[in-house]
Amino acid sequence: MPQLTINGQSYFTDSPPDTPLLWAIREDLRLTGTKYGCGVALCGACTVHINGQALRSCQVNLGDVPPGALITTIEGLDPANDHAVQQAWIEHQVPQCGYCQSGQIMQAAAFLARNPSPTDDQIVAAMDGNLCRCATYARMVPAIRRAAEIMREGAKNG
Amino acid sequence: MADLTRHTTSDDSATADSPLNTHAEAHETGALHGVSRREFLVRSVLTSAGVMLGIAVGPGRPTPASAAEAEGMESFTPSIWFTITPDGKTTVHVVKAEMGQHIGTGLAQIIGEELEVKWDDVRLDTPLESVENFAVYGLAYTVNSGSVTTEFDRLSRAGAAGRIALVEAGAKLLNADLADCYAQESRVVDRVSGRSIGYGEILQKTKIDRKFAYPEDFKSIPLKPRGQYTLIGKSVPAFDIPPKTNGQAKYGIDVFLPNMVYGALVIPRTRYASKVKSVDDGEARKIPGFVKAVVVDDSMGKCTGWVVALAEKFPAALKAAKALTVQWDAGPYAAVSSADLAREYKRMAQDTGASAAWVLEGNVEQALGQADQVLEMEYTTDMICHATMEPLNATVQEVDGAWHVHVGTQSTSFARMTLTAYLAKILGKKPEELKVYVHQHILGGGFGGKQDYDEILAAAYCAKEAGRPVKLIQTRESNFATAFPRTPTFHKLRAGLKGGQLTAMNHDIVCGWMAPRFSVGKKYGTDWLQQDAVDGTKRDIDQWSIGGSDHWYSMPSHRVRAWNHDQTTWAVQASALRTVSNSYNMFVVESFMDEVAHALGRDPLEFRLSNLSGKGSSRGIPNTGYPAGTPSDYYMDQLWISLPWPQPGTWVPYESTTVGGALRLANCLRVAAGKAGYGSKQLPPNTGMGLAVSSAEERQSPTWVACVAEVTVEPASGKYRINRLTIAMDPGIAVNPKNIESQIQASALWGASQILSERLTIKDGAFEQTNFNQYVTIRLSQVPKIDVEIIPSGRHPSGVGEPASTVVAPAVANAIFKAVGVRVRHMPISAEAVLEGLKKKA
Repeated sequence: MPQLTINGQSYFTDSPPDTPLLWAIREDLRLTGTKYGCGVALCGACTVHINGQALRSCQVNLGDVPPGALITTIEGLDPANDHAVQQAWIEHQVPQCGYCQSGQIMQAAAFLARNPSPTDDQIVAAMDGNLCRCATYARMVPAIRRAAEIMREGAKNG
Repeated sequence: MADLTRHTTSDDSATADSPLNTHAEAHETGALHGVSRREFLVRSVLTSAGVMLGIAVGPGRPTPASAAEAEGMESFTPSIWFTITPDGKTTVHVVKAEMGQHIGTGLAQIIGEELEVKWDDVRLDTPLESVENFAVYGLAYTVNSGSVTTEFDRLSRAGAAGRIALVEAGAKLLNADLADCYAQESRVVDRVSGRSIGYGEILQKTKIDRKFAYPEDFKSIPLKPRGQYTLIGKSVPAFDIPPKTNGQAKYGIDVFLPNMVYGALVIPRTRYASKVKSVDDGEARKIPGFVKAVVVDDSMGKCTGWVVALAEKFPAALKAAKALTVQWDAGPYAAVSSADLAREYKRMAQDTGASAAWVLEGNVEQALGQADQVLEMEYTTDMICHATMEPLNATVQEVDGAWHVHVGTQSTSFARMTLTAYLAKILGKKPEELKVYVHQHILGGGFGGKQDYDEILAAAYCAKEAGRPVKLIQTRESNFATAFPRTPTFHKLRAGLKGGQLTAMNHDIVCGWMAPRFSVGKKYGTDWLQQDAVDGTKRDIDQWSIGGSDHWYSMPSHRVRAWNHDQTTWAVQASALRTVSNSYNMFVVESFMDEVAHALGRDPLEFRLSNLSGKGSSRGIPNTGYPAGTPSDYYMDQLWISLPWPQPGTWVPYESTTVGGALRLANCLRVAAGKAGYGSKQLPPNTGMGLAVSSAEERQSPTWVACVAEVTVEPASGKYRINRLTIAMDPGIAVNPKNIESQIQASALWGASQILSERLTIKDGAFEQTNFNQYVTIRLSQVPKIDVEIIPSGRHPSGVGEPASTVVAPAVANAIFKAVGVRVRHMPISAEAVLEGLKKKA
């Protein structure tokens, strides 16, 4: 029975190895913050972190998850909304319907972890694969800039 | 104003299947009470949860079954708009769907302003939809950007009524003179002694039972002068945002029920009216977890040709849906294609005798005959669809004969009524024998696309067949295949130019009307929702498909004629998509006005401003709007406000948002043009600024908005980039400015997406696009700079979630013309079309 380590907890699922991680996370483990949008990596709504890398969970089958891999979903980023990206997202009131935002936030968080002081062009390139049908895009670049600032402040103070 | 009483004598033979037929049912539900004089009650009641202060309209209303009743408490009155509990918290009951507009926050601000509640004490909840609650809360239906407009006045009065009752009770408890007491931050304060008592403590210590005669007393409750607002106009953060940043928000797709099975749809042969002939489940049965294949009953004309694969898990259901071999009779629309429709529309428009006139001012033919020059152009627009990020889904469970629906929908009321009619049919029962409850969830996008109920019906049918709860999830592919798109359209326009002026405009529109699909029109008995042709033929007009063409420009003669292409309505299942017909008519009208300006040798800004003079009128509404203080005559109010208050005139009127009319629109245009530096800013090569104005949603319910688009065209490829959008909107009172800015920014990008790339086509009766690689929506890298200017004119608030989406497409088209002299008369505008124009010019 496949075992998964998600948000620091062990989970077991009886789904077959060809099951997309997305559906195992959502329907078996009921971590529903990760969303289904297109099923073919065109929208990014299902983005999670696997060993710190932002990946489309609709394209990763259970059988392909490396043993011992650390998976983080939106529920595990910071349940109290204290992650810099979450703080910035709330400060800038980015979400409208919110359905794509878990994926947007996970994408931005992984990006900033690697590039703490990005240029606007780098932000756009990193986020271009994540669709938002409400088109809340206008607030995303300023919010990511702000998140980077919060992270830098945190690093300074911490 | 439409005759509201006509529904009661509506044709009984009309099919009871459609949501809008259930409007008639809804009216009658209200009418049963037969109470002409009502009381508005502010009453505290003892419940198992403690004492609550509720606001209600009564008497004579059915009371929802409640814990209080079960415990034999007397005088329980359902609270409808808000409840204050002894802990001092105020819960606002929101029946409007939350789909990204943060509506609950705005409505709570409106109540809180007059209730003088401390904002930290406010929370929201969503009532369950049921027959009983419908009689209390009225119609739960969220469309037309109408929530703030229609709720503002009565919620203000409800809040004020609550405050009045609390201040009276608080003054007694403080042993103070009522005249010396006022409310602030959830407390009643005696200004003489300086002592105060909290709302919660008042409820703990005393019983409140205050009556206001409805509507007389309710109407005369004094409201705050608009200059004294402290909560309205403040950009408080939206309640629904924090759960959307940590994964806790629950959408319809996130529902789980014990023992449920999953359903996946087999994509039917055509969009509409395929008939299942046979299903072979031989291969599907080899898939572990497969439960069964269900041919959904489609006798109501919904879910036509649907076969659902049920399995223990969704991936298994997906595999099973692929493994099923289904044979269909492809039905009457099997040959329908976009290319044929376009030809057919053009042919249809030649038969002027079959048209229905929607606007008829002056004498168009005479004016065109006397013109120096007649400008004649044809425009076309493609279909687009909602493509909400959350695909349509529904979870349905039957428990002891009661049907529970879990879904995110724009109308829990219509969902309930539609499912009730369907179940009555398939179970052979009377509607009144059925119990249906709709549990509302937040919506992962709406845009008009979550006011059909096929997934609910199919999930219910599957639940019946499986004897288990069913969660039906559309895949992105099946969601596109079963889309409810905006109709394709054809437009022919003629303008008469004489002496440097526009003297006449004729606009002919052919498209598939959506009204018949919602059973609106003479044939269906719900004619009261729509207006007739103004040319003496009394033909139906579907204003949801034609509106927006009745614009606010002054011109001596103006005519709009319309044709319904009925095959389109059914073959593509034409529906309402964000701003409805404005979404194409504004592109056409504003592009053509630009053409007229250029043909006259006048600057598009100067030309527009001179025609936004307020002179004359259209469809009975002066171009300056109604005089200040005129009550709204928006026909949709009768749906939202009257239900379940059945008598016309019993609701409290609010000022029509038409007030000011073209003059407010002209002001928006001046502000946008000024801010953008129109006519003065130094622009790079092949770059132009284009203008557009819009008054979406409808002539009786306008929001005033103008846009300047700055666009650069690459001459070698025809590719173009939107550099900057400057948008000015006058929404009247701005309830939450930061949210309004967000709605404007995002809806503007929705408009940009339409002109850039969105395109749905039909071939052999089925939609061609299957996922986001073929149906292309705007991405971050295409996003221009957006400047927003909100003009708070202080007038009654109007909707902000949609109007800005209508101005971007024409402003971009006009900018392309300004940049390189190419006029593209089709939406979307492809690089190929611009390049072709450039070649023709050269």
